[in-house]
Amino acid sequence: MSTFNIHGIAVASGIAIGKAHLVTNVLMEVQHYKISKDSVDEEISRLSQAIHTVKDDLINIKKELQKKASNNFESFIDVHLIMLEDENFSLNPQQIIKKEQCNAEWAIKSQLDTLVSRFDDIDDTYIKERKLDVTQVAERIIKALLGHKKQIIQTENQLNILIAHDISPADALQFKKNSYAAFITEHGGTNSHTAILARGLNIPSIVAVKNARKLIKNNDTIIVDGDSGIVIVNPSDKILLVYEYKKNQWETENKKLKKIINIPSTTIDKQEISLMANIEDLSDVKSVLESKASGIGLFRTEFLFMNREKLPDEEEQYNTYKSIAKSMKGKTVVIRTLDSGADKTTAADKTQATNPALGLRAIRLCLSQPHLFITQLRAILRSSAHGKIRILIPMLSSLGELKQVKLLIKRAKESLVIEKIKFDNEILVGGMIEIPAVAINAEAFAAELDFLSIGTNDLIQYTLAIDRTDDSVSHLYNSIHPAILKLISNTIDAAKKFNKDVAVCGEMAGDPKLTKLFIGMGLTNFSMHPSSILSVKKQILESDAIKLKSFSKKVLKLNDSEKIETLINTINQKS
Amino acid sequence: MIKTEIKIINKLGLHARPSSKLAELCGKFSSNILIIKGKEKISAKNMMDILMLALGYQSKIIIQVDGIDEKEATKQIKKMFTSRFGEAE
Repeated sequence: MSTFNIHGIAVASGIAIGKAHLVTNVLMEVQHYKISKDSVDEEISRLSQAIHTVKDDLINIKKELQKKASNNFESFIDVHLIMLEDENFSLNPQQIIKKEQCNAEWAIKSQLDTLVSRFDDIDDTYIKERKLDVTQVAERIIKALLGHKKQIIQTENQLNILIAHDISPADALQFKKNSYAAFITEHGGTNSHTAILARGLNIPSIVAVKNARKLIKNNDTIIVDGDSGIVIVNPSDKILLVYEYKKNQWETENKKLKKIINIPSTTIDKQEISLMANIEDLSDVKSVLESKASGIGLFRTEFLFMNREKLPDEEEQYNTYKSIAKSMKGKTVVIRTLDSGADKTTAADKTQATNPALGLRAIRLCLSQPHLFITQLRAILRSSAHGKIRILIPMLSSLGELKQVKLLIKRAKESLVIEKIKFDNEILVGGMIEIPAVAINAEAFAAELDFLSIGTNDLIQYTLAIDRTDDSVSHLYNSIHPAILKLISNTIDAAKKFNKDVAVCGEMAGDPKLTKLFIGMGLTNFSMHPSSILSVKKQILESDAIKLKSFSKKVLKLNDSEKIETLINTINQKS
Repeated sequence: MIKTEIKIINKLGLHARPSSKLAELCGKFSSNILIIKGKEKISAKNMMDILMLALGYQSKIIIQVDGIDEKEATKQIKKMFTSRFGEAE
């Protein structure tokens, strides 16, 4: 059998290895047939009976959930129960049966098609995704009509990997009981219920794997890498061995990690290290609080601006920032101003540059549209009355830009003073260090800024001249390139010299392999995805900052990435 | 018949849970209850129809209640909106 990989969106991390178990999509099986006029009533009662069965099923699942799971899961089931009773399912399909003299399955399917097309017209992405719930309810009814006795195929094999078109929350919970090792779905996004639940249940999952059910056959051996979003089908023994090792590591690590959640993040030599979280919207705050992060080190506000026609006004932005400030209860929240452009476009991007990564993006865009920037600055400033807020400016490339930024912040402040609106006048303003020119000249920026934040993703892209979105050069993307490490170290030193805070945000901060290297460079602030915090904390607890200094110095003298990697591996294996 | 203008003040808008709660509440009354948004007019007793109006934060709607329990219904519907459907914000 030949090995091949399929890619999707990784929504819940971890590694699983097992046999493929395909679940058929009942909607595709639905056939259409005419019924005689006399059997219309009979068909309608068959439909009512099916709806009744589904209702009983859902109530039973809910009862079981009340015994163990959290409220969140229950309310998903409640939504399905109410949809079931909605006229769109309880009444309209009956009328379709009467009018078209068709079978009940077909009536549900055509009603679903109508509903789905109405959902497709909705702009609000959150509500749009509820189309999945509607589809799942319809699927349940059809399954009941077709006499699928059990909604879920029972399995005793713990190593089955579920491959489905989509998974309803109710199914996902039952799947959990049946010990599926991973979920792969063809449908869904980062915010779909499947994704949210998979993360909550800690089951490695990949969604939006196109054509998974066509490409994968029942009982194929599958590796699911829930961190990179890769599904490996029929792997060779060698690949299998590598992943089995990875999987074991992941499992033992997971168990160990949970124990350190409440331990303060300090090194052996009592250096306090601040571990903060990166977030994209309000809903991420929950996982930040659960991870016991010391604050929010990077709030990427552009996600507030994406996927919509009209940009959020000051009031909407203020309300979001305020809510985050309040839920963090006095802990630091670093709000990065709009980093629009390149791979994250919003309605603010008016032009299509030939080379968007080098074009009018982030602070350049904001300075070219001052009203847009002032609106955001006012919203951030207003929210600073409700918590410990800091402003972070992305993509600075010159001191001239910084001067303009400061002037606009001053103007925003003055307008608030005139309107007698409260804000923190001492609010700290920091800059992202992500353009090589700035990292080389870091001292000049450290002198003018209140704090620095090193954005490694863009720093690598710009330093190594690699388009992050271009697959053909992705093999050259190398975070431990000697030039990258030198730029980071140089920036940390510059900040120290001027006694300013400096943090590393971006993927490198969340990579536990690099934690010790950063500690040795003198870094005391990390900001990362909440799910990485514990594994990085574990490294910190094993670190001796003073001893690591000489290690990092040694690494910085090397000019060969391979040698750097070997040295990093040695220090990580030592403890 | 009572017509009331209502502004959505919960941050996430009328997503799945609030829509369910509203439909459930309206279902308890015998009055005919409609939500009017621009040209669209839907029954407030149908969760999915409410959901599909995609009522976002700060959008305005008119609730039209017609029937013997219209006063009580209007009162309770208004209360549900002002309490943000039990959401924090």
